[in-house]
Amino acid sequence: MFLTRSEYDRGVNTFSPEGRLFQVEYAIEAIKLGSTAIGIRTPEGVVMAVEKRITSPLMEPATVEKIVEVDKHIGCATSGLMADARTLIDRARVECQTHWFVYNEKMSVESCAQAVSSLAIQFGDSADGGSAMSRPFGVAILFAGIDSGDPQLWHMDPSGTYIQYDAKAIGSGSEGAQQNLQESYTPNMTIQEAVNLSLRTLKEVMEEKLNSTNVEVMVMTPDRLFQMYTKDEMQKIIEDLQ
Amino acid sequence: MFGGFDNSYSPMWHNGPKPGAFYNFPATSTSSPKDEKQRDSQPITTGSSVIAFKYDTGVVISADTLISYGKLLRYRNVDRVFKVNDHTIIGVGGEYADFQFIKKYIDQKVTEDYCYDDNLQLKPKSLFNWLTRVLYNKRCRFAPLWIDIVIGGLQDGVPFLGHVDHRGRAYEDAAIATGYGKHLALPLIREKIENQTETLNAERAVELSKSCMEVLFYRDCQSYPQYKIATCDGQGARVDGPINVAQNWEQALNV
Amino acid sequence: MLSIEDFPEYQIPGAKQVRFNPYESNGGSVVAIAGDDYAIIAADTRLSSGYSIHTRHQDKSFKLSEKTVLASTGCWCDTLSLASLIKARMQMYEHLHNKKMSTTAVAQMLSILMYNRRFFPYYVSNVLAGIDENGEGVVYSYDPIGHCERKKYSAGGTAGPLLQPVLDSQVGLKNQVGVERSPIPMERAKAIIRDTLISAAERDIYTGDGVIFNIITKDGIKQERIDLRKD
Repeated sequence: MFLTRSEYDRGVNTFSPEGRLFQVEYAIEAIKLGSTAIGIRTPEGVVMAVEKRITSPLMEPATVEKIVEVDKHIGCATSGLMADARTLIDRARVECQTHWFVYNEKMSVESCAQAVSSLAIQFGDSADGGSAMSRPFGVAILFAGIDSGDPQLWHMDPSGTYIQYDAKAIGSGSEGAQQNLQESYTPNMTIQEAVNLSLRTLKEVMEEKLNSTNVEVMVMTPDRLFQMYTKDEMQKIIEDLQ
Repeated sequence: MFGGFDNSYSPMWHNGPKPGAFYNFPATSTSSPKDEKQRDSQPITTGSSVIAFKYDTGVVISADTLISYGKLLRYRNVDRVFKVNDHTIIGVGGEYADFQFIKKYIDQKVTEDYCYDDNLQLKPKSLFNWLTRVLYNKRCRFAPLWIDIVIGGLQDGVPFLGHVDHRGRAYEDAAIATGYGKHLALPLIREKIENQTETLNAERAVELSKSCMEVLFYRDCQSYPQYKIATCDGQGARVDGPINVAQNWEQALNV
Repeated sequence: MLSIEDFPEYQIPGAKQVRFNPYESNGGSVVAIAGDDYAIIAADTRLSSGYSIHTRHQDKSFKLSEKTVLASTGCWCDTLSLASLIKARMQMYEHLHNKKMSTTAVAQMLSILMYNRRFFPYYVSNVLAGIDENGEGVVYSYDPIGHCERKKYSAGGTAGPLLQPVLDSQVGLKNQVGVERSPIPMERAKAIIRDTLISAAERDIYTGDGVIFNIITKDGIKQERIDLRKD
């Protein structure tokens, strides 16, 4: 299988005879090496929880930032190549501010995902400087946001596809986590139930033992918008989880 | 005159041709432009009034055949009204060279329509809007096409009449006139258009056009007794003429 | 390169090179009043240059959506271009974001579009009226380079300086003591607009011929017309 692939997997501008772009598919594979991130949408708000891989006790855990604020009403959780994520997040932030500047209104979560997606598919080797990258971005992004008071969760992968979800897991533990979310998600869960579900799911798929330094949780509600859990809050929730 | 900064000097001969000269070339001025952008600041070879109005089933546009060079009646047999296609006619005043430039592109559009052979032709509103954009664009580059153009025709069977000037200023109306026609002909046209008792049919419209051209010839010193009339209605578009004003200077004695 | 302008003593007095002036004032006045749940915007219908009237039937209002109307006077070619640009941008917005542009979004975008031409401005006096996201009537007024202000009433155009003080008194109830400040009913707003424009036509030669009202409510936009003096 890999032998036949190798003929067509070198350039992002060549389809295989089966109609596939291998570089894009490999980029999607790259996400599965990344740390797990989970997003859950409830009628009350959106929750995002991510695993932070602390590979050395000498590492400063606070500097591993996997959930970021894009605008007051939009947050992103990323998995994959962090440097690539920065580029996409930067674009998302610029688009949100530009939208506010030109239209004096909050950008919708879908529009934000769409704007980032159009950057994500600008790979290739065009001579006129039209491409931003020579390869696909190796990142998947979860967008959590409030759109006219309505909590939303969107997912975008390296192919630039963006889809709305009720609950979505990305990263190395995504398969197991997604299964878990599918079983436990209910449309009317409270924000607290969603936080608990996300952490329980993370706990199951993480190799390390869950503690207040190796996870990040963000909660977004129409009233409080982007809110990261502090270390103390994390501590308390993890204790309650036992 | 050679007294340096003496600004109290007042020339004996004002605002006219220099003694011994026959005409005052309008673009001639003592200060020459510093950069090329200032070049086209006024028209040189110009056409004067165009008069146009709608009648019950179509539109009529008329203009004389004169192109002036300042106050010199330079070219006396030049068309200023045209049939564009079966349902569009135009009439033009202002800088004739600029019009010839734009006419080239209009003709190209017409040829293209013909080549497609799909029974689709440029409609008057489309031509009107296109001219709006071209002229506005040129004005924004400080290189205006100094023309006054009247576009008439049938837009899906309904009479259309619009005007665009060298800035791209555009409007539609039932009666449009440019130059002296605005002062002399428009009142005569309005009188007939607003007359409720008698509908303005094609025949009466042409008659009205003719009487307007006659008045213009008598009163506008930069007009000419020869003119053409373009009409556009259900029967198609056509240009009639040249028609000559039946001059009668006997009445001058009564003025 | 040296030109004759560098030698003033050789210039003949009276002869001047006239540089092409891209602007022209085509006159017209706009008045808009917003109520609690409606907005009315009206403009006269005369299009002129100097002493010459081009047409007596020019609608100077542009329906941008079911909730927003722009009325614009000044250099008519700029008005036409700006209005088409706004419509194109609104269409693009609709396609990109899958929703209609709100009046507040149009208002902000208009400001930006105008400021984009900071050094070659659209020579226009804009008044935008509509219903905002909360169903409230709003009026926005602009200067030619894009300064934007949200108001409840505004007058613009050649008779703007004549009309605005009347609105300040009749709608804004400025500097009046012991008056009851209650929401202005639609019929009263319409009457004020009609009266101010009739008065403007008395004193401003660039205002006259007719008025087109746009009455914007949650049910849509209705147009009404009245005649003004035609001299």
